[in-house]
Amino acid sequence: MQLGKKKLGKKKFGKKKIAGLLSAATCSLLANPVQAEEHDWDIDSAVLYYSEDDDRVDAFEPVISGKKDLGDEEILSFKLVLDSLTGASATGAVPSTQVQTFTRPSGNGTYTVDPNDTPLDDTFKDTRVAFGMNWEKPIDRNNRRTLGFNVSGEYDFTSAAVNALWAHDTNQKNTTYTAGINLEYDYIDPVGGAPEGLTSMDAQDKNDTDDRIIVDLLFGVTQVIDKTSLFQVNLSLSEADGYLTDPYKLVSVVDNITGEPVDQLFENRPDSRSRQSLFGKYKKMFANKDIFTASYRYMTDDWGVDSSTFDFTYRFKFNKGYFIQPHLRWYTQTEADFYNYFLREGERVPSEASADYRLGEMDATTYGFKFGREFDERHVWSVRLERYEQTGESSPSEAFGQLDQQDLYPDVTATIVQFNYSFQW
Amino acid sequence: MATLAPTTDNAETVCFSKRMSQHSLNQLNVTRRGKLWIGQFRCMASPCEILLECGEETLAQELISLAQQEALRIEQKFSRYRDDNLVHRINSCGDCITVDAETARLLDFAQDCYSFSEGWFDITSGILRRAWNFNQHGTIPTQQEIEQLLPHIGWDKITWENPALTVPYGMEIDFGGIGKEYAVDAVLGLLSGKTRNSFMVNFGGDCNASGPMADGSSWMTGIENPHRPGDATAVIQLKNGALATSGDVFKFIRHDGIRYGHILNPRTGWPDTEAPLSITVAAATCTEAGILSTLAMLQGQDAEQFLDQQNIKYWCYR
Repeated sequence: MQLGKKKLGKKKFGKKKIAGLLSAATCSLLANPVQAEEHDWDIDSAVLYYSEDDDRVDAFEPVISGKKDLGDEEILSFKLVLDSLTGASATGAVPSTQVQTFTRPSGNGTYTVDPNDTPLDDTFKDTRVAFGMNWEKPIDRNNRRTLGFNVSGEYDFTSAAVNALWAHDTNQKNTTYTAGINLEYDYIDPVGGAPEGLTSMDAQDKNDTDDRIIVDLLFGVTQVIDKTSLFQVNLSLSEADGYLTDPYKLVSVVDNITGEPVDQLFENRPDSRSRQSLFGKYKKMFANKDIFTASYRYMTDDWGVDSSTFDFTYRFKFNKGYFIQPHLRWYTQTEADFYNYFLREGERVPSEASADYRLGEMDATTYGFKFGREFDERHVWSVRLERYEQTGESSPSEAFGQLDQQDLYPDVTATIVQFNYSFQW
Repeated sequence: MATLAPTTDNAETVCFSKRMSQHSLNQLNVTRRGKLWIGQFRCMASPCEILLECGEETLAQELISLAQQEALRIEQKFSRYRDDNLVHRINSCGDCITVDAETARLLDFAQDCYSFSEGWFDITSGILRRAWNFNQHGTIPTQQEIEQLLPHIGWDKITWENPALTVPYGMEIDFGGIGKEYAVDAVLGLLSGKTRNSFMVNFGGDCNASGPMADGSSWMTGIENPHRPGDATAVIQLKNGALATSGDVFKFIRHDGIRYGHILNPRTGWPDTEAPLSITVAAATCTEAGILSTLAMLQGQDAEQFLDQQNIKYWCYR
């Protein structure tokens, strides 16, 4: 009798899917708006030391950046960079079998270069401060917006930029589309004034200041392939207009027979530059928690500079959070249309010419490793040791006379050491 | 005089032992295994554990102590066994009471569960314990005893308009069905706001892990074999998320060869005798896992079918 009564009222609702309703109800239960949590800053601090061989450029760069979760997925971040450069940088002038004298950019004083030495301007000392902030906020469940600004200053250059980025998630957040824009204004106040392009160094024909505007557009897709790997593709478009010349760089005019320099002209670059780049990155985490990252970037512009960058890292993870990460990067670029190792006396001077090695044809390899320890996700220290080796055509076919025995594109080699410490504050 | 002295002694002894048991109840045992800190205490009639990855002793002690205090706070506030807390006031008042924000959230949650479970989950069913005494083996209540209580059961008879709650005289609300799981999630939330280290909260088998350990490895937890209490029948590797178990392993009555578990149907007042011995459910939170395992038990022989339909991971033993 009791058994029968027990079966009464045994209604089944097993067909209904309640997990979703339960999940939503639980969210409301456990969300705790009253408890004011202390929001921590996630801080990344780093010190970079870059030193080129042969007494060239040395850079010392401390950086501090921080991120704070304001709650509700609103994130504020900042970055402060201090960049201290010392040493000497190549001006683009060719070496000679004789002693050469160059006027300093300020117009006051000169410096001399020994025979067969690559002319380096040793007044290349500068300190740069850069500061930027970003504010990220969700628009709704699948869309985020980021707004930011960046300012930087050094004694001859000031820059201000604003940026906006929109990120859209779909596919249960497995696919993210991003679109961004960056607007930058640069004000250039070179020491001694901005020289009139392709005029003689001796003439010191200089104006005061100049400026430029740069607009960058970015479109990207990040796709999660599976639980352990993702792929990212970015397309960037950049338009720069205004003063794009380096006011301190020279192009040598050489004697038609001997190849000895007879005049030094200030370089001149076009007043606009249109650049496009395509970037792809693949990241994979293995079962033993090692991480492999490979990326490729192709960049092209209307100056004729085409470049490819290959980058690989592999992080070996050990117990207690220790890791070692070897790194290999290979870069190759073609020279700018107006790149000249030198100009020949008597020939018509082109409207644009530069001998700045950074616009020349070159290959560069960076290799090294990083090692460190991850105490937890937000508490990490690491040390990076790398070597940079850049080579180009030291004896181009157009060399003649004394130029045949000179190195017209010296190798640039450098050592990089960086210490990094991430923590919460 | 001779008779008075022992009484005084007895009262003192009772008082003293009560204080000692309070002391042992509030006792916190903290041990260390490598970089893992383990805090153990008793709460809600269960052995409770906090396992925390932490490099600093002071911080570990502080976090574990906070966890224990939060668990005890919830127990004190929502226990139906006390006569000095909010729940007692609610249940003995018969009139309208304004509740605090946390209680309001629990009542909203109970209402939501009552609604989508079509009445299978009902926090007014606690008074059935007056008929069912699971501490006494062998005696099941009569149908008459059950029927006397049924009119006083039913969430639809409660008036709940946030923050005003009216429990009619003779009715009771009982958070026993979700209290432990809610405490696990509340402690997880509290510690998550104070540290980014990985930890696991485990109150008598109902547990929730905040994330995998720093080296990526999982927390290991076992499901007790209902046929052989003390032995683990399955070892579960938990990276994050929660587990909750509903089961009749210890609290049941065997009468005439039939096993009566303690998870009672609020509409009939009887348990389903074809219910599994134990069900463990994995979910994002311990609260969800607890509700799902309880509802599954109430489906009796259809427990597995119900759980399959909810598309969740579970372990079911008969």
